[in-house]
Amino acid sequence: MSDRRNRNLVLLLLAAGLLLMTVPLQESIHELRPHVFDPERKTKRVSAINIGPMPAVIAALGGFRTVAADVLWLRVERDFHGGNWWEIPSLLDAVNQLDPHFLLAWEVHGWHLAYNLHAESETLVDRRHYLGRGIAVLEDAVEANPDSWELTKELAWTLYDRGREPWRAAEYFRRADEFPESKSYVTRMIYRCYEGVLDIPNLMEALEYARNRHTDPNVADDVQHQVIVNDNYNWWLQHKDDPLEHRRQIVKENTARAQRSRPFYLYPDNPHWDVCPHCGLPSPKGSEFCSTYGHPMKPSSGSSRSPGGSRPPAEATSI
Amino acid sequence: MGNLPFAIGFVVVVALLAVTHRLWVPALGHGAASTWRIAKITVAEARRRRVVQAVVVLVLLVLLFMNFFSYLNPREQARMIISGGLSAITVFGILLAIFVAAFLIPQELENRTVYAVLSKPVRRFEFVLGKYLGAMIILAVIMTIMTVVLVGVLLVQDHFVPDFDHSVFEPNLDNVIFAAVMSYFAVAVLAAYIVLISTVSSTAMTVIASFLIWAIGSLQSQIHDLAEAAETVFQKWFFTMFYWIMPPLENFDFRHEVSNFMHVSYRAGINAAGEGVLYIIIVLIVASIFFNDRQM
Repeated sequence: MSDRRNRNLVLLLLAAGLLLMTVPLQESIHELRPHVFDPERKTKRVSAINIGPMPAVIAALGGFRTVAADVLWLRVERDFHGGNWWEIPSLLDAVNQLDPHFLLAWEVHGWHLAYNLHAESETLVDRRHYLGRGIAVLEDAVEANPDSWELTKELAWTLYDRGREPWRAAEYFRRADEFPESKSYVTRMIYRCYEGVLDIPNLMEALEYARNRHTDPNVADDVQHQVIVNDNYNWWLQHKDDPLEHRRQIVKENTARAQRSRPFYLYPDNPHWDVCPHCGLPSPKGSEFCSTYGHPMKPSSGSSRSPGGSRPPAEATSI
Repeated sequence: MGNLPFAIGFVVVVALLAVTHRLWVPALGHGAASTWRIAKITVAEARRRRVVQAVVVLVLLVLLFMNFFSYLNPREQARMIISGGLSAITVFGILLAIFVAAFLIPQELENRTVYAVLSKPVRRFEFVLGKYLGAMIILAVIMTIMTVVLVGVLLVQDHFVPDFDHSVFEPNLDNVIFAAVMSYFAVAVLAAYIVLISTVSSTAMTVIASFLIWAIGSLQSQIHDLAEAAETVFQKWFFTMFYWIMPPLENFDFRHEVSNFMHVSYRAGINAAGEGVLYIIIVLIVASIFFNDRQM
């Protein structure tokens, strides 16, 4: 009896010793796989889409979250092609929760809200809501996948093209451009952001930056990039003070803003043109009335026919 | 942080092995031979089981019919096949582990064949180890077949699915094979726990407990989160103990990274494999203690 007890004690001590030996292995696994084990990991819960019992469901699914996300993704495909567009956001919320590293699901989610549902909405309030949600989804996507240049670029593009927030868009394009895998068109998008709002100092600085990127003469894409950027650089050197070019950019930008139900940009510092707060079109500096439709150039409260009224230059919020 | 526990553990293990070497060194040669014989018999028994054959056929069918996502773009197709295929390998591997390992010892006890084996010069620990090794051999063969079929499906699809500029069918073969190997380690660790339970309980209880351990082991990171977020010393101690006692199955789960074409840390896999081997030894030691003390 005593022998057996001693033997069991030795074996238990041996097991305890071996268990202690696993501690550094487990700690190193925690460090090597932070997206699984870091208690502060971003993928555990994404604030904007924390809906009801989802975290519990995710916990219960354990290692099968990816498969569950795939099944829901197939439903998204079916609903999308079946025209059942309004059901898709809730499904994509679940897919993003289940698999926060499924990049395409994030991209489609942000795009569907900011483009499809925004365009399908019938009221201005709904349009603003869906655009805001689309951008918020992409911000969550970037937060959950900080290593993805595609998602950073996607957020930047949505801010630029749909949100008409060029300064924020430029900052995200800059971030995406810092990734080694990023493409040359991302570099060019940085200065494109400043063209529409005629932010000439930032535009010239971004053009200089783009000229110094992708300079390998043995890479076809780099050669093409240099041709495009140098063309643009020379164009803006010649036309940065050209009133007609300024007029062209103002019309282009505010037409795009009107199409997207965004507020007109009023170009407060433009030396050549004042912009009508009602139609977004330029009139010569100092005009009292809009030269196109005869609107008074000073905004009158409550009588604006613009898609969203005037917008202060403080729009240039940084991220 | 982990160096002190490792040093203590290492010293304890080396000291115990050194002190008791006269007891275990002479038995090594004979023990290995009898363990191997029991393992071979276990493999032969498992091959005859219909449920094993049925599960293998089922999973092969599932893997072969994974090309019905042809309406998705190439990258999505690859993702679906990889995540579905690896999950099928893991799920069916674990189900097979439960249904093979849970019957190993209780059935021998219920059929009383264990008495015939133990009446020969075979130690009880060798019996447990032989049974476990036999189960591991049959599971290794089955999981290898499943992995080969998955790799074949990916290669065929890679050949036939046309790539687009923005979306390429990426079979990600290195990482798929790595994830399948890691799934085998998960199955091996879980099977050791099942053998441990089967030494003290009936077949039905073993099967139920195995499913519970699988579920809890798959929630390893959540238990770790609970331990980190614990507000009282008792809670922290409880969850930390629970975390270390349960099988670390999430360590072996690389399906998420591989399906999403993320960076896969091979070092994490190697460390997990090393930790898995240590867990298996620990659990089999405890199993042999229970089986030695069992009245038959």
